[in-house]
Amino acid sequence: MELIFRILVIGLSIGAIYALIAVGLNLLWGTLRMLNIAHGDLIMIGAYIAFLLFKSWGISPIISSLLAAVACGVLGLVIYRVLFSSSIRAAKTLEGLEANSLLIFFGLLIIIENMALLVFSADIKGYSYLTNSINILGTPLPFNRITAALVAIGACIAFYIFLQKTLFGKAVRAVIQDKDATQLVGVNTHKLYVFCFGVAFGMAGLAGALISMLYSISPFMGQSYTVLALVVIILGGLGNILGSLIGGLLLGLITTAGITLTSPGYAFTIQYLLLVLIIIFMPAGILGRRMQ
Amino acid sequence: MTRVIKNCTIPAVILLILAAFPFYASGYILSLLLIAFMYAALAVSWTIFSGYTGYINLGVAAFFGLGTYVAVELWPRLPFPALIVLGGVVSGFFALLIGFPCLRIRGPYFIILTLGLSELVKSLVERYEVQVRHSLGTILLDTPSAEAQYYSLLGITVAAVIVAHVIRNSRFGLGLLSIKGNENAAEAMGVNTTKYKLLSFALSAAFMGCVGTVMALRWTFIEPVIAFNPLITFQVTIMATLGGVEDFRGPLLGAAFLTLISEVLGIQFVYHYLIILGTTLILVMKFLPSGIMGTLRQLRMGKRNVAQYKKFEEEQFPH
Repeated sequence: MELIFRILVIGLSIGAIYALIAVGLNLLWGTLRMLNIAHGDLIMIGAYIAFLLFKSWGISPIISSLLAAVACGVLGLVIYRVLFSSSIRAAKTLEGLEANSLLIFFGLLIIIENMALLVFSADIKGYSYLTNSINILGTPLPFNRITAALVAIGACIAFYIFLQKTLFGKAVRAVIQDKDATQLVGVNTHKLYVFCFGVAFGMAGLAGALISMLYSISPFMGQSYTVLALVVIILGGLGNILGSLIGGLLLGLITTAGITLTSPGYAFTIQYLLLVLIIIFMPAGILGRRMQ
Repeated sequence: MTRVIKNCTIPAVILLILAAFPFYASGYILSLLLIAFMYAALAVSWTIFSGYTGYINLGVAAFFGLGTYVAVELWPRLPFPALIVLGGVVSGFFALLIGFPCLRIRGPYFIILTLGLSELVKSLVERYEVQVRHSLGTILLDTPSAEAQYYSLLGITVAAVIVAHVIRNSRFGLGLLSIKGNENAAEAMGVNTTKYKLLSFALSAAFMGCVGTVMALRWTFIEPVIAFNPLITFQVTIMATLGGVEDFRGPLLGAAFLTLISEVLGIQFVYHYLIILGTTLILVMKFLPSGIMGTLRQLRMGKRNVAQYKKFEEEQFPH
C-alpha cells in the first residue's frame, strides 16, 4: 500500500512536468501539423536561463521560469518569422510541409545543441533550491518538486481553460479540427499560427526552468525530453490537448511504477517500448480519434 | 549493345581509379575515402527505401548498429566476407520482422516510430551489456587490414548503387514511386504496396547492416552509444536529401560533399561542423526542397521547355 502511494505521489509530480512539455509540442502539431523535434532543446535553453540567473544573481527559479518562458516564446516568434512564415503562406496544404518542417526542426536541433556546447561546454551542471521536504501520504517529497509540479499543472490547466472559454481559444481549437473551414468563417489563421509558436516555445522554456530545479542539466538533455513529449502526445492522441494533459500524468505514473519495479536504468527502455507499442497498436491514443 | 558499352564506360573508369587507390594513395586519403564510402553506401541504401517511397526512415542507426553487433558477437570466429553477409542478413531480417507492423503506419507516425525503434534497440542492447555481460563496450582484435576494409566498403557501395539503379528503372521501382505519389491510388491500380514497401525496406536495411559490420571492424571499439549513434541517422538523412533522392546520384553527391566539409572542419571544430551541418539542412529544405540533383533537373527542363515553346510560337505565329 505504501508502495502504491509512493508511485502515485512521485509519478504524478513528474507527470505534471511531462504534461507541460507535451502540451506545447502537441499545440504545434495540432494547429500547424508540425513536429518540433527541437522541442527538448528549447527546454534545455530554458533550463540554462534559470540556472545562469540563479548562479549569477541568485534569482529564484520560480521568477526566472517566467523569464525563460518569455525568452523562448520570443525565440519561437523569430524562428517562425524567419523559417516558416513564407513557406506556410505559399503552401496550398500543410501536409506538404510536414516532412520539410521536420527536417528544418532537425537542423535547428543540431544548431541549438552545438551552440549550447560551444557556450556552456559539455559539463553537467546543477544547483539546489528548496530541497527540504514534507511528507505526502507517507512519501517524503521535496518542496522543489511540489512547486515545479504545481506550476506545470497550473500552466496546463490555465491554457486548457483559455482554449475552452475564450474566443481566441475557440479559434485555436477550430484550426486543430479543420483548417480550411476555420479560414472560411473568417479566422486569420496566420495570426493564430504566430500565437501558437510563441506559446509552444514559451511552454518549453517554462518547463526547462522548472526541470533545472530538479535535475542536473547539460546541452544533451534535450533529446530525452523530446522523446518523452512524443510518447505523451502519442499516448494522448496527436492534436488532442486534453489528451496530452492526461497522457503526461499517466506516463509519469507508468515510468515511476516501471522504475520502482525494475531499476532506474530501465526508464528509457520502458518509455521507448511504450512509444513503439502505442503507435503500432493504438495509433489514435487513449482518447480521441486519429487525426487525418 | 554499343549503348550498353557507352553507358558503362565512365562508371567503369571511375571504378578502376577507385579500386587502384590503395596502391598509390596515402593512408590518410584511404581513411578519408573509407568514411566517404561508409556514408555513400548508407545514403544510397537509405534512398532505396525512403527516397523512392517517401517514407522517412529515421532508424538508420538501428540497422547499422545491428550490423556492428554481428561483428562484436562473431568476430573472429567467422571470416570477414561471411561476417559482412551475415550482418546484412540479420539487419534485413530484422527489417522484415518489424516492417510487418510498422509499414502500415504513415506520415509523421512512421517517422517517430522509426526514431523510437532505433532508440529502443539501443537501450535494449545497452541493458543486455550491463545485465548479462557486466561491461559496456567490446574491443575487437586482429581486425582486417585497411585495404580489405576499403575494398569491402567499395564493394557494398557499388552493390547499393547498382541495386538502387536497377530498382529505379524497373516495374518494382515504378511501384515504389507510385507509393510516394499517392499510396491509395497505387493500391487501387493494383500495386501490392505492402509487399513493395516491405521488400525495399528490408533491402535498404540489409545494406546498412553490411556497412555496420565493416565499420565495427574499422573502429575496433564498439559500445551501444557508438553503434546506435543517432548522429549517423541524421547525417545520412541530410546527405540524401541534400543531394536529392530521385536516384543514386544525389545521395552520392551529398555524401561526398558533407564528408569533405566534415573532414575540413570536423576534427578541430566538431561543434562548428555540426552547426554548419544544421544550417545546410535548413537552407536546403528552404531553398532546394528537391535537393541539388532535383533542382538541376528542374532548371534543365525549364530551359528546354522555354526553347521548345519559342520554337512552337515561331512556327504557329510567324511574324
